[in-house]
Parts: sequence; C-alpha cells; structure tokens
Amino acid sequence: MRKLAMISALLFVAASLVAGTSLNGATLRSPDDLRLGRIGVLQGTIHERYAMKAWPEATILQYQSPSDLLLAVKSGKADAAIYSDDELMVMLRQNDDLAVLGDELLATPLGMGFRYEQTELRSAFNNFLRDIKADGRQDAMVRYWMKEGGTRMPEIPASAENEVLRVGIVSDNGMPFCALIDNRLTGYSIELLDRFGLYTGRKITYVNIEFGSMIAALASRKIDMIGAVMAITPERRKKVAFSDPYYEQGANLFALKKNIASLPQPSTAGSVKDGKSFLAGIAESFRSNILLENRWQLILEGFRTTLVISVFSALLGTLFGALVCFMRMSRLNVLRVSAGVFISLLRGTPVLVLLMLVFYVVFASVNIDPVLVAVIAFGLNFAAYSAEIFRAGIEGIDRGQTEAGIAMGFTGPATFYFIVLPQTLQRILPVYKGEFISLVKMTSIVGYIAVQDLTKAGDIIRSRTFDAFFPLIMVAALYFFLSWALMRLLEYLEGMMAPKHRNRTVAA
Amino acid sequence: MIQIKHLSKKFGALEVLRDVSITVRKGEVISIIGPSGTGKSTFLRCINLLDRPSGGSIVINGVDILDPKADVPAIRRKMNMVFQSFNLYQHLSVMDNLTLGPVKLLQTGRQEAEKKALELLKLVGLAEKADSFPDELSGGQKQRVAIARCLAMEPSIILFDEPTSALDPTMVSEVLAVIRRLARDGMTMLIVTHEMKFARDVSSRVLYMDEGVIYEEGPPEQIFDNPQKERTKIFINRVRSFNYRIASPDYDLYAMNAEIELFCEKQILPLKSRQSLQLLVEEVLQICADTLRSTAIELAITHSEKTGEIKLLVESGGAEENILESAALPDELGLTIIRNLTRSIAYKRDGGQNRLTLILKEQ
Repeated sequence: MRKLAMISALLFVAASLVAGTSLNGATLRSPDDLRLGRIGVLQGTIHERYAMKAWPEATILQYQSPSDLLLAVKSGKADAAIYSDDELMVMLRQNDDLAVLGDELLATPLGMGFRYEQTELRSAFNNFLRDIKADGRQDAMVRYWMKEGGTRMPEIPASAENEVLRVGIVSDNGMPFCALIDNRLTGYSIELLDRFGLYTGRKITYVNIEFGSMIAALASRKIDMIGAVMAITPERRKKVAFSDPYYEQGANLFALKKNIASLPQPSTAGSVKDGKSFLAGIAESFRSNILLENRWQLILEGFRTTLVISVFSALLGTLFGALVCFMRMSRLNVLRVSAGVFISLLRGTPVLVLLMLVFYVVFASVNIDPVLVAVIAFGLNFAAYSAEIFRAGIEGIDRGQTEAGIAMGFTGPATFYFIVLPQTLQRILPVYKGEFISLVKMTSIVGYIAVQDLTKAGDIIRSRTFDAFFPLIMVAALYFFLSWALMRLLEYLEGMMAPKHRNRTVAA
Repeated sequence: MIQIKHLSKKFGALEVLRDVSITVRKGEVISIIGPSGTGKSTFLRCINLLDRPSGGSIVINGVDILDPKADVPAIRRKMNMVFQSFNLYQHLSVMDNLTLGPVKLLQTGRQEAEKKALELLKLVGLAEKADSFPDELSGGQKQRVAIARCLAMEPSIILFDEPTSALDPTMVSEVLAVIRRLARDGMTMLIVTHEMKFARDVSSRVLYMDEGVIYEEGPPEQIFDNPQKERTKIFINRVRSFNYRIASPDYDLYAMNAEIELFCEKQILPLKSRQSLQLLVEEVLQICADTLRSTAIELAITHSEKTGEIKLLVESGGAEENILESAALPDELGLTIIRNLTRSIAYKRDGGQNRLTLILKEQ
C-alpha cells in the first residue's frame, strides 16, 4: 500500500516536471497571469528588457525572428509573446487562432541609427523627416501601411547619383515595416528610406543583417546607417546616434485564443479546416510558399549561394589545407609549430564565432562581399580539418614506398607526386567526403553575416507565410539533394583516381 | 666502378659504420654477411644515399656523390636497389610498376617500355601477372617483380638489401634463382644476405662485417671454409650450429622442434638423420625434466659438413651430476633409445657446468 502511494507520488512529481510551469487551459485573463509563465520575445529588442523587468519570475524565451516567435506561441512552447503592435496586426490577420492579450505594454519611439561622427548624414535625415511631416507625406504613409494594411510599394525613382548609402535592415522583419514581397523589399521603412535616398541624392543599398548584429555592423562600418525597426533606448544611445523618432510604436502581448479567458472560445467547427484533404493542404502550402510572390526565386537564389559558398570554401580549404599540411610536416620548427597552432586554434573555435570574427573584426573596415567572407571563414575552418586528414593519409603510406621511388632515381617531389600522392588520395577520400558534407551543412549559419543562403531564404518565406512545416521540410530536402549531388560528384572523381577499382569491375 | 673510402655513419652517438673502404669492379658479385645490427644494411643504404654518410667519400663511375653539386637522382637511376620488404608501388599494377621509372625518368615511350617490361617479366617468370596488383602476389612473386622493376631501369649496379629475409622458406629459392641468373649474366651486384649457401655459390667476393667495419674479406672459399680471423670463425661456426635455451619445464616444445627442423633443412640433412636427431633431443629432455625445475638447460646442435658428424651438446648448471646416470628413472627405455641412437656419449664437468656431448650414429 505504501509502495503504491510512493509510486503515485513519484508519478505526480514526474508529471509536474514534464508540464513545467506551463499554463494550461483558458487561464490568461490579464498580463499578470504570466507571472510564472513562459514569455517569448525577440532577442536583443526592448521587449526582451521589458519582459525581464515586468515578469522577473517568468521564463523569458528569446527568438531570432518573428516567425519563430509566432511558431513558439502556436505550438505552445511559449504561453504568450510580446511583439510590436503594427506588425502584430498583420500577423493576427493571417492567424485567426491568436489574439491580443491585455492592453498596450509600452510605447517607444523608433529612430534611424548612425555613428556619432556622421552628424551630416543624421541632420540630413532629420531635415528630411521634418519636410515630410510638414507636407503630410508621412501621415499618408502611416495611413497606407499601418491602417490600411497596404502591400504595394509606390514607384520611387532611385537617385541618379553613384554615391552609395548602405542601410542595414532585417528583411524578414515582417509587414508593415519591411518584408520581401514578389522578391522586392516592401514596407513603411523601405518607402521612408527610398524617399530619403532620393532626398539626399544617394543610392540606397540594403544590407540584410540579423537584428542582434546590427549595431556591431554599424560600428565596424559594414553599413552606414541602421534602417531596421529599432527603438530608441538609453543603452543603445551609448553606441548609436539616433535620428529624431520617425514613428511611435507600441507593443502587445499575444497568445492563443483558447488560452485567453476573456475571449469566446473558438468552436470545434474550426476542425472543418483540418478536415481538408492532406493533398489539398500540401498543394495550398506549395502555392503559398513557393509560387506566391515568386518565392521560388528566393529559394533558387539561396540554393545557388549555398552551393557557391560550399564549393569555393571546399576548394580554398583543400588548397590551403595542403599548404598547412606541408608546413606541419616540414622539418623547419617555425613552420611546423605555426601550422600546429593554426590547426588547434581553428579546430577549437566554433565556426560561427570564426565567421563573425572574420566579418566584424578582421574585415571590419573593408567593404567586402559577405559571400567572400563566408568562403574565407569556412575555407579556413575546412583547411584545419583537411590538413590533418592529409597528414594522416601521407603518414599512413609505408616509408618503403618513398624509399623505392628515391632509390629508383625520382627526386623527392617527383616521388611524392607519382607514388605517395596517388596512394594518399585513395585512402583519404572516404574521410574527406564526410568532412565536405559537414561543410555544406555548416554553411547554413551564414545568415549571421547578411548572406541570403538556402536557410535564410526559408526563414524569409516563413516570416511571410507563418508556415513552419513546409519551408523547413523543403529547405531540408534541398540540403539533402545538394549533399547527395556533391557526394556523387566526389564519388565519380574517386572512381577516376582508382584505376584498380575500375580494372577489377571490368574483369569481373 | 665504386670506390668507397673511410666511410662512416653515426645515428646520434651510435657509430654504425667506421672507416669502411672497398672498391667494387664491374661484374663483381659481392655478398655482405655478418651478425644482425652490424651495419650491413646501413652500408648498402649509404652507397645510394638513402642514408647520408657522416664521413668518407663514395665515388661512383668517377663521380663523387657526396659532392653537393652531384646529380644524385641521375646516379641512382644507374644503381637500383631491391628491398627486404619489396616496396612495390601499391597503387600500380605489376606492369605499371615496371614502366613508371622508364617512362617518367628515362623518357622511354610507353609502348616500348611495356614491351621491355613484358620481356623482363618473362625473365623472372611472371609474365602472366602483368595486370595483377602487388597485393595479389605472394612474397616470392613480389620480390621477383621488384627485381624486374630494377632491371627495367637498365642499371649497371644492383644493391640487394636482404632480398629473402621477409620470405617464407618455401619462396626463398625462386628469388635466389633469379639473382643467380643475373650473376651469370654478369650484373654487378652487392648483396646483403643471411643465406650462406647462396652467398658461397654466387659471390666472387664475400665481406664479413662486424661492429661497423669490414672485418674480413676474401673469396667465398676462404671466408666459409678457412676463415682467418677469430670472429669470422665464430660466426661461420654459429651458422652451422643450432642453439636453444630452455629456462623452465613449461618450454614451447613445438617452437623448438620447428627450429630444429629449419636447421636441418638449411644443413640439408637426410630425412633419417633428422628423425633420429629429433627423437634424441626429445628423449634427452624427457630425462632432464627433473633438472629443469632447478636450472636452465642449453642445447646446441652442430653439423660438420666435412665429416657429416651431428653433435648434440647439453649444458646445465647446478650440482655436479651426469643426468643420464644419476637420474632416477622409472625404466631403462629412454636410456636404451639414446644409446641406440648415439655413437658416443661423453660427460664432462667444466667451469661449474655439466656438459654432456652426444654424437649421432651415422645413418
């Protein structure tokens, strides 16, 4: 009997552990009910700071993009989330199972960000802002984008001047500020910035950067101006010189309708939608995620970028790895030790950190294509691994092979080329192939330095369609296809390099 | 053809070669024999600079190869080497092993090189293996391919570094036969070997190396039948004898028998003698079983080529006793067998050792 009681007590503890602090059922009446709940926020935003202050005991979950935030609430990973009200309206229009919880939490002014020494550019923007306020242009813009939910960009002629103004934005921020529609940047922020470009006579170039990296990019001169939706806060002021506010933005909590007590619960009639045939659902997803707004172009573009980065960093890494391997096996202490240090440093650093270091520190003051930066960073990383693969392969060849070549009259390099290298290649290819495939998959983090690769393309689509399943599966399938195709290519090369294999199959 | 003067080689503090001087003339076949670890292979590897000498001079066809300006690869092309471990190029077929050198180094056309290679493979009896890969060949076949690969470069000197040491006993003769044939054709060769009979037959001169110097040199008859110096004598005698130390009653009987077998084979003893010898050793050890508990036993078997006499020497420490007489035996059977097998049995106490000498009856 006591045993039974003990077991049930254990089960209860286990159950409550699994359930965690989540709030089940329609328990949310006001924001105060989230005291012990889980609250989703966008990383690095003022919402994050606000949530930490307002609900000190709650679990604050940080997400990278609005679509992740939305997904977290929909899938029940977060009880509620904070998001800017204008963007939230757009989101709610497409997701009828969500609703706003409580009143507006905070209202913050938004500003464009500059470095402190850019006084001229900043005052130019402030003058521009004053002008459009005076002639009513700004009111019209706010009405169109915010109130009417417009999605069409007006035609604004680009400035004829050649002087470029690089503006950092978050392309998957979401409407009404900034989103990709028909592969074109669209939204309130973009119209504002385009008009500013016309006003100052400079050509605007948009640079897509993770929100969290925005200030670093400005400081390291990767961009001339922050055009993302950034609230003016005292902390940011330390690093960023803000323009006058161009918009006052509120933020709200949102949650699943069924968790909000004050709302009428959605009837089970909603399941009619779920009853739609599976195939029809897939077709609909395909239409909205691929065909609509020509999103397949985004995917294609991203696929190409991923392919380019993978192939070129593998090439660079292989060549550089061969050099490092040569140094590592050199008789000169200086070369051997420096190669050893290079290898252990590179292998001991996460490649994401390396990527950011190369982009924001090494090439901080150089205007360089981020794709090139990615190739360099992944190439360096790949070099460290391939150098060790090569070394193991070469050292695995019996010393007698070299001696036989030398004794026959080959010079050292010729012996290596004719005798050691072919045997090494045959041996290392299986390991090398595996390393190459990891490299292809590793490139999915280039979004951090403003490269639109396959993963990022999927993220952008998700930010517009708020559909997690289809874009993620599609991106996964494309990565798989890419790896598979590259693997087949390497296997083909392997077959060419191993005449032994070929002869035997012919003989058989 | 080769003049070597005062050659020395050190590995760190270890002096492997000391003041080695020798002149090799065209057409000579020189065998280098001696105990293991006395620098025979190092000497050979110094001649083609696989190991760089620490001092002295090596002049080949009038070129001082230790001169930094000397074109060493060009000299090596004329002076190829056969290795103990064959070192065939693993990634190439037998045919390509033979043609790689001529095509890349001598600028021979591929067709011509292949024709030549096929001839050489016929010479060593392996023409049908032309398309095989090294890992499909037996040890003896590999070594014959390696010799053919050497010949494909048309060398004027071949260095053999223990060409049969890594081979099974059954494959030694096929390789030696090929080398014999080269000797007959007048190839200049330096051969490091442990095959004494072969060295005796094939060489025009034998070098006995010991402790890094050429200790004695001369025609094979002198070195093998009438060595002049003390160490040479010991070495040559040891080659003719079998030594085995038994330290405990749980010794490896089968390993010992196998070694006796091998010794008999090398000495080319008739089957009858072999069987008698093995029976004798077995019976003696049976009787010694008790002694083995307290002390180790040294066995030595010697065979004299001149008289055909086979001698078994049993040495043991411990108290003075003639095992064959004092042992408390359950029956006389073992002793009877021993007496029947031997011509004479002698016991001697010598330097704290009991020494029993048994001479096998002529068969």
